[in-house]
This record gives sequence, structure tokens and C-alpha cells, in this order.
Amino acid sequence: MTFAITRMMAPVPVVGNPLPIGGGAEKITIRKLNFYYGDHCALKDINVSLYAKKVMAFIGPSGCGKSTFLRVLNRIYDLYPNQRAEGEVLLDGKNILAADQDLNLLRARVGMVFQKPTPFPMTIYENIAFGVRLYERLSKSELDGQVEQALRRAAIWEEVKDKLNANGLSLSGGQQQRLCIARTIAVKPEVILLDEPCSALDPIATAKIEELIDELKNDYTIVIVTHNMQQAARVSDFTAFMYLGEMIEFNTTTFIFTNPENRRTQDYITGRFG
Amino acid sequence: MMMLYARRRFRNMTMLVLSVGATLAGLGWLVLILWTLVVEGMSGLSLKVFTEMTPPPGSDGGLLNPIVGSLIMTSLAVAVGTPIGIFAGTYMAEYGRYSPLTQVVRFINDILLSAPSIIVGLFIYEVMVAPMGHFSAYAGAVALAVIVIPVVVRTTEDMLLLVPKELREAATALGMPRLYVIRRVSYRAAKAGILTGILLAIARISGETAPILFTALNNQFFSADLNAPMASLPAVIFQFALSPYKDWQKLAWTGALIITLAVLALSIIARMLAASRKTS
Amino acid sequence: MSDAALQNSSIALLRGQVLDRLRLRDRIFHFSTVAAALIVLAILAGVIIALFIGAIPALCNFGAGFLVSQRWNPVTENFGALAPIYGTLVTSLIAMVIAVPFGLLIAVFLTELCPIWLRRPIGIAIELLAGIPSIIYGIWGLFVFAPFLQGTLQPFLIKVFGNVPVLSELFAGPPYGIGILTAGLILAIMVLPFVTSISRDVFEAIPPVLKEAAYGVGATTWEVVRNVVLPYARVGVVGGFMLGLGRALGETMAVTFVIGNAHRISPSLLAPGTTISATIANEFTEAVGDIYTSSLIALGLILFVMTFIVLAAARYMLLRIDRRMG
Repeated sequence: MTFAITRMMAPVPVVGNPLPIGGGAEKITIRKLNFYYGDHCALKDINVSLYAKKVMAFIGPSGCGKSTFLRVLNRIYDLYPNQRAEGEVLLDGKNILAADQDLNLLRARVGMVFQKPTPFPMTIYENIAFGVRLYERLSKSELDGQVEQALRRAAIWEEVKDKLNANGLSLSGGQQQRLCIARTIAVKPEVILLDEPCSALDPIATAKIEELIDELKNDYTIVIVTHNMQQAARVSDFTAFMYLGEMIEFNTTTFIFTNPENRRTQDYITGRFG
Repeated sequence: MMMLYARRRFRNMTMLVLSVGATLAGLGWLVLILWTLVVEGMSGLSLKVFTEMTPPPGSDGGLLNPIVGSLIMTSLAVAVGTPIGIFAGTYMAEYGRYSPLTQVVRFINDILLSAPSIIVGLFIYEVMVAPMGHFSAYAGAVALAVIVIPVVVRTTEDMLLLVPKELREAATALGMPRLYVIRRVSYRAAKAGILTGILLAIARISGETAPILFTALNNQFFSADLNAPMASLPAVIFQFALSPYKDWQKLAWTGALIITLAVLALSIIARMLAASRKTS
Repeated sequence: MSDAALQNSSIALLRGQVLDRLRLRDRIFHFSTVAAALIVLAILAGVIIALFIGAIPALCNFGAGFLVSQRWNPVTENFGALAPIYGTLVTSLIAMVIAVPFGLLIAVFLTELCPIWLRRPIGIAIELLAGIPSIIYGIWGLFVFAPFLQGTLQPFLIKVFGNVPVLSELFAGPPYGIGILTAGLILAIMVLPFVTSISRDVFEAIPPVLKEAAYGVGATTWEVVRNVVLPYARVGVVGGFMLGLGRALGETMAVTFVIGNAHRISPSLLAPGTTISATIANEFTEAVGDIYTSSLIALGLILFVMTFIVLAAARYMLLRIDRRMG
């Protein structure tokens, strides 16, 4: 049993004790994480534990650092100069911020789905096979099997099975996004990061993705960033509220949405700001 | 008040009429040039042009050897210049996107892009023809390659920069090494654009005369020897047009028409490719 | 360790092996791209070094006098660059004086007046024409344009300005057809599509809000162009002109056909002259003797320095406008 650390803002009176919110095994433990864009500090002293095979939602007003936080977990920020993270991000106990961390391996373990659907400019089949082929030498039929499995898991197989050779860009937005999820699953990750995956989608497509998330958490640790509080309430087991680069509160979703300890959290979820 | 307004309107009309006039005049000149080219060039155009060698003055002949020479040297130049250009452009847009080296290379490349081509001819003369002791098709091809490189560098970089960063991030997030992100995703997304650049580079060098003059020189006869002087369309046009012989001048016009048609065709194909990129 | 963890670690091991191989390829590819980028730098360095070394004999022999002497005598091996430099500058000047206003007016037409459906065809036509090889302009200039000028414009200029002081000097002598003025006019036609397309691009990059605001207070089209478009686009347009100038300075084939290749500075624009590039193109392969060849390369070096300065200034200006427009 572990205890997540709930961080308090100094001037706000602390009510009650941090509750034991044990959620099972810790998949990722974050200690004293700071993140900088050049001189600008975008994440300040984040401490949080993410639990295996649960859905963790990060909410907060735009610019609060929730997407930045996500981009640390697979070190995608490494693509850009002048962006750096300090502190510890332990994935199964190993610090992924360490200099000797292999980034390709890390990203294969920690998959990511982006805000805008990003199908590659190739066929639907190739979109999935692309990542699989890189790591495994498979026969055509094995590869077909893996592609089908990934598409099935992403609940899009029925819609695309007859047009696997069509361009990925020919799908609708919601289908594209599920294709991207399938692509991520195909690489067999352990953690899936979702960066506002529904913000470009209509309500029906959003509902499908949310169903899918519920399904996927049986096998994967899922971290989702969303600006939509209802979505966080619907899909997540735990919710973190972030504000101005700080983690204000982290607790079970039920707790955050019914009985937040921090006044800012309360203000935000009741719609008084943000 | 009304006086002022009338004056403003008058001035406006004057300038508008002038700008319409300028457009008509500008386009008119260019149409005139093309028209002459077609009229003069067509009269000499026959099958013989493509099947016979350049003639001595006063007799019949064609442009077979310069056409073949141009094709050979252009192909060589593209074969040498394109990979270098694509690689350099790839460095600038991908690996070295934020490096100071890229800034320097971009500036220098832009200079090379508009540098006088005759300078390139002198350069290759100094580093290849003089040390080898003779003119050669090799030297001509290298001179043309030096012109191809900056064009391809520029378009490759531009096209790769247009690839959305989300696409690159998405591929990287799958755990792809950079090489695969570039080759399988960035190149694929930028394919049509890069191809357009290569076609434009070919269009550019197929009419270049100045860099050929001191490198491949010219050759009255058919030669496939890359280590010897080789005829090319621009060089033959230059020689024949400035000669006093009527049949040579006629062939020069025909050659000029062939080059222009080739260049226009290449540019139009390139443009269509670029347009198809937007819709796909 | 649970089953899942065990499975994960074996996947990781397998992936590690695959990645080691891929990483090596990645490193080779990365290295190749750096090498290619360095080749671009090496070309420019090579051009400068090669021209400089080639020019040394001439520069040693004639010193700074090379720049100011207009002698050009292959027999006595006495060379000076003044006449070609003069011809290069004057022909480019004529070209720019004509091409700039025309180019600007055409760009105004294309961005402000032209019906939308006509914009693309005209724009494409102009870009296609910018790609036509210069030798085409040269051959047309020699066979069509020069005889035409000889019969019409030149006698006209001589007659009109014959009795006007100063101008009579500029337009003196028999109408040869070929000469400095003809070369300048051909250059103008050549540079025109270039100047036009750059001006148009710069005009089109202006945020529409600015123009709408000016139209909104009742400005006429010309007033919008004069007071909004031109000031806003100034740096970019000047940068575009510099690019055009760079092209005109170094242009070889269009000029070589019609300049007359005479190594003297004549006050008359109708007289034959020469430019740096025309001199090199005409004489390089026939040059005998080290000093002769070296003098031609020295001319090339001068041309390179001139165009480098102009092009660098152009790029600097275009860079500034790119930044401003984000």
C-alpha cells in the first residue's frame, strides 16, 4: 500500500490530512520534478505517483502545465532545444530522466496519442504495421494478425477491415484518432499518454474514445490530459488538478469532484475560474 | 472637398491604368519572345534534328550529339547533386534544425542559389579542367551539379519544414529512431515537394550555358566518352547563333525551341505535382 | 516479478538488440547529412579560394591598377577591368530602372486589381517565364530585338536628343543595334518576371486587416497601395530588387549576344561595350597565356564579390521581413 503525496499551496489553509488513496502498484513515481522552457519554469516541484492499470486524469486551466507534464513522461520534449526537466521520474523504479536512458526504448514503453489526430501519410495497414515491423521480424500473416489485433483493441477494426489499403487520412476525425490509438497499442506499450485526445472530436466520437479508454485500462496504465472536467470525471480513477505549473491536488476522482481539499480546486471544478 | 476628391480619383485612375498597361506590356514582351521562338524554331524542326549530328557549315544536319550530351550531363549532375542536396536539406530541417550550423548553411546556400552561373564554370575549370589538363563531360556535369545542389537544398528544407511537427512527434512517440521518423514519415509527407524541387533543378540546368562553356566545352562529333569534351544544346546554340552561317543559325533557333519546351514542360509538371500535394 | 513484468523485460531486451542496430544506421545517416551540409559550405569556400588563387598572377602583375585601368590588350598582355565593370554596372542599372517600376505596377495589378480568376494564370505565366533559360533571351535579342532597335528606337533617340547637351552624349553615334542600351533592355525583360513575382509575394503577405482598415476609411486603391502596401512591404520589396540586381549583374548569356564585346568605355549608351560575364564567356576558352587567363579569373572574382555583397544584403532584408511577418 502506498501513499500518494498531496501537495498543498502555502497560503491556503490545509483541511484534513492527506488521505490514503492507495491505488495498487505504482507504475510511475515522480519526485521533485521541475521543467523549464529556457528560463521559464513551467512545472514546479511536482510529486505524484501514477498507478498501474488505472486512469489518471490531469485537469487545469490552459497553460497550467498539464500537457508539459505529459510530455515529460516519454521525454518527447527532447526533440526541442532549451527544454529540460529536473528531478526524478521513476518508471518501474528506474529514473527515465537519467542521461543513459534510451529514448527509443522509453517511447516504445510509454506511448502517446496527441490532441490532433496524426495518421501518417500512408495506408491504414501501414500506419499500424510501421511501428510493429521496426521491432519484430514477422511473417506477412503474423504481421496481418498483429495489425488486426491492434485495430480490434482500438475498436476500429469493423470500420476499416474492408479498406486497409486506403489512406489513413481518408478516415473521419474520430476514426483517425482511434487509428492513432491502435498504432500506439501495436507497439505494445505499458503506459499510454493521451493529450486531450477528444478536443478535436464531436460528442459521438468522444464517447467512443471514452469507452475505449475504459476498456484499455485493463491492460495499460493510462494518463490523460483533458480540459473537459466531465470527461475526467467519467473516465478516470484518479484526478490531478494543476494550476500555474504546480500540482495543487491529487486524489481519487470521486474525492476531487465531491470533496476537494483545496479552494482553487473547488473553484475550478465548480466553474468559478479557468 | 469635391475638388480634392476628384483629384484623388483622377490620381487613382491614372495609377490603375498604368498598372494595367505595365502588365500588358510585360506579358506582351514575353509573348512576343515565345512567339518568335516558336515561329523560327518550328521552321527548322524535323525528324533529322533528332537523328543527325551537328553539320559543318553549309550542309545539312541535326542536333543529335548535343541533345544526347545534354541528357548525359544533366543526368549525371542530378545523380550527383540531388543526394547531396536532399541530405543537406534534411540536416537543416531535421537533425540540425536548431543548430547554428543550419543558419550558416542556409545563408550560404541562398547566396549559391543566386550566384552567377559563369562563376561556377570558372570554379570547376580551376579545380577540374586545369588539373586534368583537358575539358571533359565530367567537369560539365560537376559544374551543373553545383547548380543543382542549392536548388534541391532549398526546396528539401522548405518542404520538410512544412511537415507538421505533430506528425514528427507522433512517430517519435512510437519509439522510432530519428532515421525512421525522417525516412518513413517526413520524407513521405514531403515527397511531392522534394520531387518538385528536383524537377525545377533539372529545368534550371537544362538551359545553363555559362558553366558548360569552360568545362565540357563542345564537340562537333558524337562522343559518349565522359573524359572528353562533350556537346550540349546550350553550347551549340551559343556557337551556332553567333556564327555567320544561315543553316547554323536556324539550328540554333530549333535548339532554343527544344530547350524552352523541355523547361516549360518540366516546370508545368513540377507545378502540377506541387498542386497535387495540397489536395492529397 | 510478476508474469507481466517478466514479459515486459524480455520485450525490452529484444527491442534493445534491434535498436542497437538501428541506432548505428541512424548515426551513419545523421553523419551523412552533416557532411552534405558541410559540402554546401565547402562549395562556397572552394569558389572563393579557386577564384582567388587563379586571380593571383593578374593581381600581382597589375596590382590595384587592374581595377581602374581600361586597357585590354591580349597582344601586349596588358589588362584592366574598368571597362567590363562599367558595362556591368550600367547595363544592370538600365535593367533595374526599367524592371522595378514595371514589376511593381504588375504586382499591384495582380494583388489589387486583377479579377481573382485571372490571378493564378497570370501568376503562373510569370513564374514560368522566370524559368526560361537566359540563352533564349540572348538569341532573341541578337536576331530580333537588336535589328528592331537599330531601325526604330535608336535613330529616334539620336534624333530627339541630338541637340540636347549631355543627353546628346548619351545617345551619340550610329545606331549599331547591339550595344549597352540593348543589353540593358534585354536584361530588364529577363529580370522583370523575377522582380514581379517577388513583389507580388511580399504584397500578398501583408495582413488583409491593414488594407481593409484603409479601405474602410475611404481610401482609393492607389492610396492603399501608396500608404499601406508599399511602406509595409518596403524592406521585402527592396530585398527582392537586390535579388534581381544580383541576377542582372551576373547574367551572362542574355548579355553576351547583344553587348558587342568592345573593351572601351564610351559615353554613349548606343555604343558597343562589354560586361564582366560577357568578357569571360567570349574570351576564356580562347585566352592564351597565364596572365590573360588569370585576368579573366580576376574579373570573375570581382563579379563574385559584387554579387555576394548585393545578394547578402538582399537576403538580410528578406530575412527581416520574414521575421516581422512571423
